Amino acid sequence: MIIRVESLTKVYDTGAIQVEALSNVSLSIEREEYVAIMGASGSGKSTLMNILGCLDRLTGGKYILDNVDVSTLSDNELAAIRNKKIGFVFQAFNLLPRLSALGNVELPMVYAGLTKSDRLQKAKAALEKVGLGDRMHHRPNELSGGQKQRVAIARALVNDPAIILADEPTGNLDTKSSEEIMDIFEGLNNEGVTIVMVTHERDIAQHTKRAVVFRDGEIISDSRIENRIIRGGNNA
Amino acid sequence: MNISESFVSALQSVRANKMRSFLTMLGIIIGISSVITIVSIGQGGKEAILGEFDDLGTNVINVNVKSVDNEIEERDYLTLKDARLVEEKIPEVTTVVPASYGMGNIKTDKDKKFAEIDGVTHNITKLMKLEMLAGRFLSESDIEAARNVIVIDNITSKKLFKRPEDAIGQKVKVTIGDSNSNLTVIGVAKSTGGDMAEMFGDNYPGVGYIPITTGERVIPDARIVMFSVMLENMDNSNEVASKIVHLLEQTHRNKGKYSAEEGFKELDMLNNVINIFTMVIGAIAGISLVVGGIGVMNIMLVSVTERTREIGIRKALGAKNKDIMLQFLTESLILCLIGGIIGMSLGISLGLVVGKIINIPLGVSPSVILLAVGFSSAVGIFFGLYPANKAAKLDPIEALRYE
Repeated sequence: MIIRVESLTKVYDTGAIQVEALSNVSLSIEREEYVAIMGASGSGKSTLMNILGCLDRLTGGKYILDNVDVSTLSDNELAAIRNKKIGFVFQAFNLLPRLSALGNVELPMVYAGLTKSDRLQKAKAALEKVGLGDRMHHRPNELSGGQKQRVAIARALVNDPAIILADEPTGNLDTKSSEEIMDIFEGLNNEGVTIVMVTHERDIAQHTKRAVVFRDGEIISDSRIENRIIRGGNNA
Repeated sequence: MNISESFVSALQSVRANKMRSFLTMLGIIIGISSVITIVSIGQGGKEAILGEFDDLGTNVINVNVKSVDNEIEERDYLTLKDARLVEEKIPEVTTVVPASYGMGNIKTDKDKKFAEIDGVTHNITKLMKLEMLAGRFLSESDIEAARNVIVIDNITSKKLFKRPEDAIGQKVKVTIGDSNSNLTVIGVAKSTGGDMAEMFGDNYPGVGYIPITTGERVIPDARIVMFSVMLENMDNSNEVASKIVHLLEQTHRNKGKYSAEEGFKELDMLNNVINIFTMVIGAIAGISLVVGGIGVMNIMLVSVTERTREIGIRKALGAKNKDIMLQFLTESLILCLIGGIIGMSLGISLGLVVGKIINIPLGVSPSVILLAVGFSSAVGIFFGLYPANKAAKLDPIEALRYE
């Protein structure tokens, strides 16, 4: 089991009022799963994503990631966990505009303390894997949306994380690019990468294997996806 | 993330905003260059002034016969025998240079020059550097034989003869009061008055050196009123001074007639005055460095705000607080360091120009370079600390959401 969340609650204290974003959520995700987290905005799915990504702390309950209880770790320890165990893919790509594709993919390895030559070698391999071998030295503003998201996926993969957390990864993309990105995720999952994806689009969720639906901070359904869309993919 | 990588990345971000970086550096450039200009001009001025004194030995105690109350009797005056006695009896003393003097005219058939006539021994060359332009200085045998010879300085030589070489072997008449003596010029020495003598021109009195023994005939009432006593070092000069006075009092069987003081007390004072002066003006210039530092802090705060999202991304990818801190601290350090180096070059050039105009050599020492680099680094770190800390403490979620 790679993710185990027990009785998780998250309360935002805004001073005047307290907002319970997540209440008593329990969830387990196995290695090599491909899970969609769904729900309307304000349902708590983004909050869960932040907690799963070790960007935010939980108010109550327990979160065990890859056999480590992360609910008690310090800021620096959380940073190390994010660096080594989690690969983020964001809706807005979040690439650094001043760095080339290669530089962006190198970044997590910089913080992991790898040498320049190791970083280059791994970053190149990761970019080739997402089909950007010929765009390595382009800056983000010279790339299309789909290409940017592929750079982001390469960056997420490069430290061999335990899970990939994708937050609306196709939200800013046209249909064709979205399909391409979903193909890449499909291929990665087939290779054994665990993926957790937040989305509110049903047809995107159809690509995954399991859907967890949130409403008002609680899980209202957790089911296997029937009639999965499996396109060409690498290993379809 | 290691230091050298943060340096490279900081350089990139400084380059990315060239104009802004330059304007930010400007404060540091102006601060450092003005401090360096002032310090090096101060240093140069000090060296120039001390250089004038360099011709004179500095390990010197001056022994004088006190002229208080006019109660000096014949037996109180210093003698050549006293000079030898001090040299022999007090081990710290290396040389005693006795001197008598009078003011008068040095005349040729055609012209005359008002001059100070000093009765000295050959040992005076140990006390002051006398550069000979022609001929030779007084020798030991000149003193012993009380020869009728004179060494004149180049001011006198210029007035009375054309070139220093022309003076050698010429007869001059030295007139002091009623006393007239014919002496032969054996040497011309460079004037010790230096630039000052040049400025005063003909009004500046010349100098004639004659054997102290000859002086007894040439200078009316020639009395030795002063010894310059040279020591190995000045470590216990006060003790040696009282020993000398005591010895003289014993020999002359009197009390309270002699004083012995360090020869160059004024020099220390002058030194202090210039140092304080340089420090005060340097401190005023240093204020502009602080203003420059505040400018750096301001821009770094803007930069942190602008790059909030970048900070969020970096944190999400695993940057620890100290990594972010280091990144922004390095940027502010680099801004100030580059500013410091430009300011240093500018300051040295400016100092050279000003030094040329007011005609003093510039004292650019390695310590000036250390000062510039050290100060600008300190400013960079000090004023970068707050913005860098602010960046490091940003909440990753907030930062990622920042538009």
